[in-house]
This record gives sequence, structure tokens and C-alpha cells, in this order.
Amino acid sequence: MSFSSGYVAPSSETAGYRIPSLGYRIVIAGLRLVPTFFLLIALPVAALSFASSRGIALPISTYAVTAWGIALMSLGAARYILKPTRAYGPVSIVASAVVLVYLLYLISLSPYRLTIPGGSATLAAGYASFLEIALIMPVLGIIVGILVTIEDAGSRTERLLFDFPA
Amino acid sequence: MVPTHRRPPPIYRLARALRWISALVLVALIIFAGTVIYSAVQVAQTSAQSRGLSASFAANGTVEIGGSFTLSNPGLYPIDGFKLTARIANSSGVNLGQIGVGPTNIGAFSTGVFPIALYLPVSASGPTASLLTVDQTLRVNAWGNATYAYLFPLSIKLAENRSWGAPFEGFEASVGMPLGGGGMITLPVTVTFSNHAPVSDAGTLTFVIESAAQVDCGGGTFAIAAPPGSLYDQTQDVTLSSGCSPAGGQILSTYSNGGTAISLPPEAIP
Repeated sequence: MSFSSGYVAPSSETAGYRIPSLGYRIVIAGLRLVPTFFLLIALPVAALSFASSRGIALPISTYAVTAWGIALMSLGAARYILKPTRAYGPVSIVASAVVLVYLLYLISLSPYRLTIPGGSATLAAGYASFLEIALIMPVLGIIVGILVTIEDAGSRTERLLFDFPA
Repeated sequence: MVPTHRRPPPIYRLARALRWISALVLVALIIFAGTVIYSAVQVAQTSAQSRGLSASFAANGTVEIGGSFTLSNPGLYPIDGFKLTARIANSSGVNLGQIGVGPTNIGAFSTGVFPIALYLPVSASGPTASLLTVDQTLRVNAWGNATYAYLFPLSIKLAENRSWGAPFEGFEASVGMPLGGGGMITLPVTVTFSNHAPVSDAGTLTFVIESAAQVDCGGGTFAIAAPPGSLYDQTQDVTLSSGCSPAGGQILSTYSNGGTAISLPPEAIP
């Protein structure tokens, strides 16, 4: 039932929200893994392999990148699947904390020292400042996770009205 | 009936706002990183160049290596605090000279051109005397610092060996058998060397025959015109001063080129 000024009456059957089925959420989470896989694993590993094939020492191993990427992808998928539940807040905190630790790990590897193959030149490139700015994202993610956890503790369904409107 | 289009609770709105900020930061960082990589590749492709390098004899017994150093920055971001230093040592590890550029800033879409002048001592005395007459390997150590795109500090160290070709390689001033008699003695003096330097030896070589008691017995002047890679071998007869014996003495030589005079190592007379 519609009201004037764009107000919409709630659906009594769904109490104003409609949660996608678990199967649907798993499928969507799986599809979301594709771009995440390219961003977190495929591109970095390809770049590292390209550098390694030309004799350039790597700042981080491809195994480490893959392991961190799988961890982040798994947590991202779990976070999406668990979005309608009270576990969403805590999983968001954990996912952001893992990103935070990953970035701190990468910062600890800065500066990247590179000996140019076939020459006697050594290049050092610092990127810590850039990643320190990037830390804003997981820090905000942790805060958001805490807020969601607090909100869910008060009323489990309050958030669902806006996250999954009917 | 309860309208669902109600205002979300404050805690939800705060969380949503933070998510938006986080997403905006992510997008901004991705765009920034992408443009930095693109710009850095542009800078790397132009590469720094040393242009118009030339070597010439200069005052105070030195060879001047002059020219300019050019660094183009066609990228979107500035190169701040660019500083480059190069130090050159001879094969014995003795420091010969140093050049420096900066610190300076090179803005986006601009080119920095820096004049350089390196003076290598080639005088006949001191630890670097052999540069004039002996080919050797010079050790070049260079290091530089800069900050690219505000956030990325860079430093580079370079160490390499460069061959030095002596302008009077194997210089020898020798005397032959004395000729004449009756109080008038002439002595043939032969000067030989190879010019291994990239510049011509053009000027005069003035020599003095000095006795063991450091008395001037006579001397002369050779006209020098030795292009790079050539061998110089000339002999000249010198009339010695009456009663002056060169035995046990030495030949002192000075190369002059357009007002610049450089002493060559003395050659002993047996």
C-alpha cells in the first residue's frame, strides 16, 4: 500500500524486509569472489612472477600473497553470506582486522630494495606512507563492525529493514 | 499501518556513512596508485641523460669533465627533493672528485637540466699523478634521493668502474748519446707517449734538462698535435750549456695548452 510522498507500507508477511535464501547468498558470494580473486591473488602473483622471471628479487613471496588472498577472500565471502545474521558484525571486525594485519605486514617490508639485474645499481622504493593511508579502510571497517554488532545486540531485525528492504 | 520508509537509526546511518567513506578512500587510492604507476613508467621511459659531456684541460693541473644532466618528468606528479651525488676514486681508492645535483624539485610535466663540472686532478705530484700518464680504472660511486608523488621516497646507489685513458700514456723523455766536442755538446732528447684520452693533446711541450746539481743545462719545445688514439714520438737535439753535465739529472716537462700548463712527471737521466 502506497502513501503520498513516496512512503511505502510494510509487507506484513515479511515484516518489511526480505532476506535472500542461503543458497542465493552463497551463489552471489561465489560470484563476488571472481573480481576479488583477480585483485588479491591473480594480478599480484602475475606481477611478482613477471618480476621474478626477469631476475628481480621479490619483496614478498607468491605463496604469502596467495595465502593472504585466500584468507581475505574467504572472510569476504563469509561476511556476505552471514550478512542477515548477528555474526555479520563480528565477522566484519575479523575481516577488517585481517586486512589491517596484512597492510601492517606489507608496511614492514617497506622500503623495497631492488638490485637491478646485470648491473651494480641498487634501488630502494618506500611505500609505507601510501599503505598507512590505506589503513584508514580496515580501521573504518572495524568501527563499522563494532557498530553493527552493537546495533544487532539491541535489535536483530532493525538493520534488516534497511539492508534487505522488501 | 506503519510506514517502512522511516529514517534509519543513528547507529545504522553512522555505519553506512563510514562504509561510504571507506569505499571513497579505496577508490581514491586505486586511482592514485594507478596514475602513480603510469606516471612512474613515463619517467622511467624517458630516463635520465648526461648530455654534451666534454673533457678538457683546465687550470690548476686538472681535467674538467663538463656537461649537463637532464631528468625529464612527463608524469602527473612532482619529483621532490631530488639530489644526486657522484664520487670518483682512482684505482688506489684515492678520492679524485665529486659532483652533486640538487636538492631540487622537478614539477609535473617539466624537465630539470643541471650543469655539471667535474675536475679531476692530473698534476704530476700527489696521489693522482698517474692519471696523466697511466691508463687505469676509475671507481664511480653515485647515490641519489627523491620523493615521487608526495608519498614514495626513492633512493638509488650505483657503483661501477670506468676506464680512464691517459692523455700522455707511457710518457717518456729520454736522452741519447751526446754529440759534438770542443765545448759544444748537443744531446738528442726523445719524447714518446700515446694519447689514450678522448681529447686531443694540442699545444706545446716545454722541457728543461736539469743536472744532478739542479742546474739548467738547456731545453727546448716540442709542438704537440696528438689526436685521440695516436702515438707521439719526436726527437730534438738540445745544445747543452758549457760545462753542464746532465748525467744523474732529470728532464722536467710541462705541457701547455691555451694558457693551461700541466707538469708531467720528471724523467731521470741515467
